[in-house]
Amino acid sequence: MSGDMVITVGEGTCGVAAGAPEITKLLKDRFPQAQFKQVGCIGMCHLEVMVEIATGGKSYLWGGLNKKNLPKVVRFHRGQGDLPESMLIRSSDVTETERSQYLTKQTRIALRNVGQLNPISMEQFRARGGYTAIEKVIKGGMTPEQVIEEVKISSIRGRGGAGFPTAVKWGFARSAQGEPKYLVCNGDEGDPGAFMDRSLLEGDPHTVVEGMLIAAYAIGASKGYAYIRAEYPLALKHFAIALDDARKAGFLGYNILGSNFSFDIKIKEGAGAFVCGEETALLASIEGQRGMPRIRPPFPAIQGVFGKPTIINNVETLANIPWILLNGGAAYAKIGTEKSRGTKVFALAGAIKRGGLVEVPMGMSIRQLLMEIGGGSASGRPLKAVQLGGPSGGCIPESMFDTIIDYDAINATGAIMGSGGMVVTDTKSCMVDLARFFLEFTQIESCGKCTFCRIGTLRMKELLTKICDGHGTLEDIDTLAELADRIKDASLCGLGQTAPNPVLTTLKYFRDEYIAHVTEKRCPGGVCKGLITHTIRQEMCTGCSICDRYCPVNAITGELKKPNTWVIDQKICINCGMCVEVCNPDAILAA
Amino acid sequence: MSKASLEATVDPEKVQGWITQIGSDTSAAVPLLQAIQSEYGYLPRKAMNLVLENTEINASQLFGVATFYAQFRLDPVGRHMIKVCHGTACHVQGADRLNTSLRHALGIEDEKEDTASNGSYTVENVACIGCCSLAPVMLIDGEAFPNLKGADAQKHLVKHAKTKGEILPGHAGEGDDQPADEKEK
Repeated sequence: MSGDMVITVGEGTCGVAAGAPEITKLLKDRFPQAQFKQVGCIGMCHLEVMVEIATGGKSYLWGGLNKKNLPKVVRFHRGQGDLPESMLIRSSDVTETERSQYLTKQTRIALRNVGQLNPISMEQFRARGGYTAIEKVIKGGMTPEQVIEEVKISSIRGRGGAGFPTAVKWGFARSAQGEPKYLVCNGDEGDPGAFMDRSLLEGDPHTVVEGMLIAAYAIGASKGYAYIRAEYPLALKHFAIALDDARKAGFLGYNILGSNFSFDIKIKEGAGAFVCGEETALLASIEGQRGMPRIRPPFPAIQGVFGKPTIINNVETLANIPWILLNGGAAYAKIGTEKSRGTKVFALAGAIKRGGLVEVPMGMSIRQLLMEIGGGSASGRPLKAVQLGGPSGGCIPESMFDTIIDYDAINATGAIMGSGGMVVTDTKSCMVDLARFFLEFTQIESCGKCTFCRIGTLRMKELLTKICDGHGTLEDIDTLAELADRIKDASLCGLGQTAPNPVLTTLKYFRDEYIAHVTEKRCPGGVCKGLITHTIRQEMCTGCSICDRYCPVNAITGELKKPNTWVIDQKICINCGMCVEVCNPDAILAA
Repeated sequence: MSKASLEATVDPEKVQGWITQIGSDTSAAVPLLQAIQSEYGYLPRKAMNLVLENTEINASQLFGVATFYAQFRLDPVGRHMIKVCHGTACHVQGADRLNTSLRHALGIEDEKEDTASNGSYTVENVACIGCCSLAPVMLIDGEAFPNLKGADAQKHLVKHAKTKGEILPGHAGEGDDQPADEKEK
């Protein structure tokens, strides 16, 4: 019965974390004759575990599978039960559901293969047109200058955050003197909240290799490094396999495709330093040193790793390159806005209903992205803001969600496009706490070279902590703004120059929250532990005792099933909020 | 077993093997330390000294690198490692509560400590592991647990400790054994 059945399971990091291996095992027990395939993450992280089952000429894509609801799917495929609609994303018969809109509203160029193929299968990659762009370049006799020209026509800008035109960068390295030249793929995706590089490296590593090949050919590089975070074990594994297979197939090594172009790639595993995303720090790290940035010029394109001309491109940028060469720069430039062409991948997370990876054309509004693709608020509470660009970026308030996705439009708000991390918050969040979170992050990650970044971020963090604890003054808010300006001016690299952004944008758009913390000693979001107390709203309490069972410090006492007997001992309570999480009738007030 | 016995026994031949395999010039510093740490869970002083004696890397560079990158640690770790993700998405969804409940269960009260007094578990915070849509997330010995509430973290820990025969020295709640996310399934 299951002889012609093909079961495809999404086994990216998200899928595995959500329990894909267990689901695969259960399905193998139920359908022992079926053929099993694994693919990378299609980006619908909110619907993991995802499984596609093709049988009898029809295919069904199921999402949100777990041990409990899996039997319904199994029964359906055995012809013993109805179609469990709540788990269906799409099928050959039902091509569009509310869930499938998440995919249909996207324009996938960088992510074109992710989730569509087995990441470590050269055969499947070739079947989807893989390595035909580099063949077109080499066998078609394109000169490096023609390659750069094509990329120039596409107007693609670096997707790592700064948005520098890729073709211009390549032009510098092409004309730079010195041998050998290096090409570095920057996969040190350190922005908390961004995971598109992880998805590309683990879900479609060959595309990144092909992008690196084309870039290396264009600038005349013979050596390549892929700098990948140690926190991404699956990406490291898949990329290493892809390199081996590419070597065996003759796409890496000496005289590639019979030409006189030779290029090979080594993996450098990152060791956990956010600042290494900065290009000069990354170079120091490759050389085995502390990852500390240096003054530019000389720019890496002239003097990079081991003193040789070096180009550092982001993973997402490189993933777009083969598509651009195959379809032409003009086709890419048709998408997007005047100054921001093409598509951008965002990692959607936080208080959003449908989180995951989305690739959209530039020019789409933030509201469209959050509402039509993301499905709006997960909790039903109104959305408050979206944090763009991680620790270097800023918060855009709900009132400005009509801002379009475009480098300049987003910069105008005070946030940045950044690498594409998009963390959504609803009314139950505190913007002062969020600013403190980022300052704590940048303060720890500051390499310590520049005084203002080293000490200034610490002072800012202290002030923010003071405000969150309820001891802040109005002068502290002014001091924060002053420090922010000084740090921006007196820091050498992007980390320090942008570190104050989360504070500046929250001060700009959510000043009332700062004021409430300082003058009313109140945290409007109910987050800051020093400013809230937890109490039980007796009229709503059912006496179920679940809060008591979950309380880590046994601060809650009362008689089982007797409302009006339950109290929280404020002397013991640590305001951790676990009781709020678990209370079904929402009877615990944090204010 | 107590914490003092967590010090690793370093095999000099293994260290020499990594040096032969990875290289002995200055650019090998990071990968060498990574090889040592993945074997022992931390950087034992004896292994560091062997690197200094047998490579071109000097003490300033080696210790500079070891203290610069978040991945490296100079103190021994517990028999099991819990990593709590503190990326933005995990933070706004309450990752702090995971630490609170885990540390309570393990009886780690001193803020500077991260390992239980009986050497069973170490609780570390890590920067974003890139599963933001499944926040908050933690890893126990590399296995990921998604969409956690504070109390779920503790319950997964209790379950893990049972299967590994570890004793939790702290206060491990009084709820039922099934984590809430598994109950729903």
